[in-house]
Amino acid sequence: MDPSVLVQLLLNGIVIGVIYALVAMGLSLIFGVLEIVNFAHGEFYMLGAMLAYFLSTGWKIGYWPTIAMVTAVAVCLGFVLYEALLGSLQGEGFERSILLTLGLSMVLQNGAVYLFTTTPRMMLVGSTYSHVGVGDVRISVLRLFALALGIVAFAALYLILYRTRAGKAMRGVAQNRDAALMVGIDPRGVSRLAVAIGVGLSGLAGAALAPVYAVHPLMGAGFVFKAFAIIIIGGLGNISGAAIAAVALGVIESLVGGFLPLVLADALAFVSMIAILLLRPQGLFGRGVRV
Amino acid sequence: MTGRGTLYLTLTAATMAILAYGGLATAPQAQDKGPIIIGSSIPLTGGVSQFGQHSRWGAEMALAEANAAGGVLGRKLEIDFQDNRCNPAEAVKSVTLMLASKKYVAIHDGLCSSVVLAIMPLVERAGVPLVVANASATSIAEKSGVGGNKWTFKVNPTDASMLSALVGWLEKEGKASNIAYLGEDSDFGRAGSSGFEAALAKRNMKLVMVDYFQKGTADFTAVLTKIKARKPAQLALYAVDADFQNAIRQWYTMGGGVPLTGRVLVDQVPKEILESGFLDGTTSVQPYDPSVDTPANRAFVEKFRKTHDVPPILISFESYEATKVLIDAIRRAGSADPGAIRDALATTKLPSMLGTTIEFDANNLAHNYAVILTIKGGKVVVLGLSKT
Repeated sequence: MDPSVLVQLLLNGIVIGVIYALVAMGLSLIFGVLEIVNFAHGEFYMLGAMLAYFLSTGWKIGYWPTIAMVTAVAVCLGFVLYEALLGSLQGEGFERSILLTLGLSMVLQNGAVYLFTTTPRMMLVGSTYSHVGVGDVRISVLRLFALALGIVAFAALYLILYRTRAGKAMRGVAQNRDAALMVGIDPRGVSRLAVAIGVGLSGLAGAALAPVYAVHPLMGAGFVFKAFAIIIIGGLGNISGAAIAAVALGVIESLVGGFLPLVLADALAFVSMIAILLLRPQGLFGRGVRV
Repeated sequence: MTGRGTLYLTLTAATMAILAYGGLATAPQAQDKGPIIIGSSIPLTGGVSQFGQHSRWGAEMALAEANAAGGVLGRKLEIDFQDNRCNPAEAVKSVTLMLASKKYVAIHDGLCSSVVLAIMPLVERAGVPLVVANASATSIAEKSGVGGNKWTFKVNPTDASMLSALVGWLEKEGKASNIAYLGEDSDFGRAGSSGFEAALAKRNMKLVMVDYFQKGTADFTAVLTKIKARKPAQLALYAVDADFQNAIRQWYTMGGGVPLTGRVLVDQVPKEILESGFLDGTTSVQPYDPSVDTPANRAFVEKFRKTHDVPPILISFESYEATKVLIDAIRRAGSADPGAIRDALATTKLPSMLGTTIEFDANNLAHNYAVILTIKGGKVVVLGLSKT
């Protein structure tokens, strides 16, 4: 076998893994702090991509300012989401959160279909068709940008969680909400911030990938189910676990898809999830203490 | 009231209700003054809703022309569209409801191959003709006419017949020997690979590689790396909509280096990729292309563009012609009885805009022309028409 094929598959896998991680980390953060599974998470990824498309195509805003603007809008949307919907669920049943976020997902997805139709849109930026490569190994410049953004986002989230007071408060609320309240932490404010960061990461992923993948209202659905599998494999609420599981899954999927029928790669995430649920329900990196 | 009295009353009421319902349900078919109604189950929402929209536009244009000319049998024609999201289960639900109402003289289309295969048994049981406009799976024709289902008529060519025409052309050019296949994991994609395999087998050749992807796949890099490593002469890509856009862009940025073949949606290749010359040498077979130069097609394209601000695509063309075939059959049947319409469909002889005559064979399959297209110098060029 040509070694360049293996290198290409590994490289593809790392990039797609980091892309998965961008979506999965936000989902994991929200679950870790609020214990809510946000089924609408994929729709925020889709909305981020849609907004990036319209900013870039309609208003001719450049790639990097578009990413910054979309991320900022997504963070604000996260605040609104918490205040309008998720805040009222605090301490309420897990089932209610599932129904509410599932309903929100349907409203957002069908609203986008109604407004924008399902016609795929292609966001063009200066480097859409550019690539870098050595020999037969090639990768598009925009995928490298997405890779860099994913790594920066993970590092930033890690620093927030472990080096700031707000991050420590988030971890405190995740570990014991009542105890956190007793020592003066405002769980509502912390939860609001967690949702804002989580939705912000989803918007960032959408904006970063809008020039890589076709933009359409149904694009979030596939990603979010894979993200669920990733956070279960990594350990619910464990951000580092989610990131490691995402990259591992991306690489394994790429290798499987590169040597075996592609449908096996598609099934891999869910087979792994079922295996983890049976053998290690707390996830590969679940340690009882989340975030 | 005694128990037996109550029972009699209940039975009487139930019998009256059944009779009344039966009378109401059959009334539209029996009376001769109201409009003649055709049912259609197509994807109006979901991933391929833009195709559903074109199917609707094509059918509505044919109906509008017939109604402008005074209708058929002195009555107006109407068509009811129901959404199936390209999902067989939803199509079965909507077509079952349409057939139960007994007001539809025929069912038009279904659009997706899996959908048509799912609703074929329903129309057969109900004794209502189904006119297939867009679904291309070869198995639809294999199961129709002498294949068993006498109520299904397929106006557009099958994948097998189109690919037979394409492979014949590729063989003449010496390009049929090293083709890799990547298609969506659906009846559409599976029909593409089996069509290629059948056409190649006649020439003692076969596909060098076959793989399928799930509809809605965003990332194709793994499978494209595998294909690139096999160094095929051409890649047959059976993908539509967002899947096609994602696959084609990733093939380009990965430097795939070989042209495409099969039912490539050449009109949907991004302009930048097309003009770069990257896909030069690509060959595609389609049931239609707006640039086909016949007087009838020129008039159709002009009228369609004027009405909808966009040129027709193969879906709108096929839907338009299939609806015209159905209208012609209703006219020749001399009645809105589904059985009479079916018999009239079987003896169809209607000129197509592509220049041939639409007639059904023993499998209720019409053999229209297929259009062979190529990409040359960054432009799409019609190579010619080939009878399917």
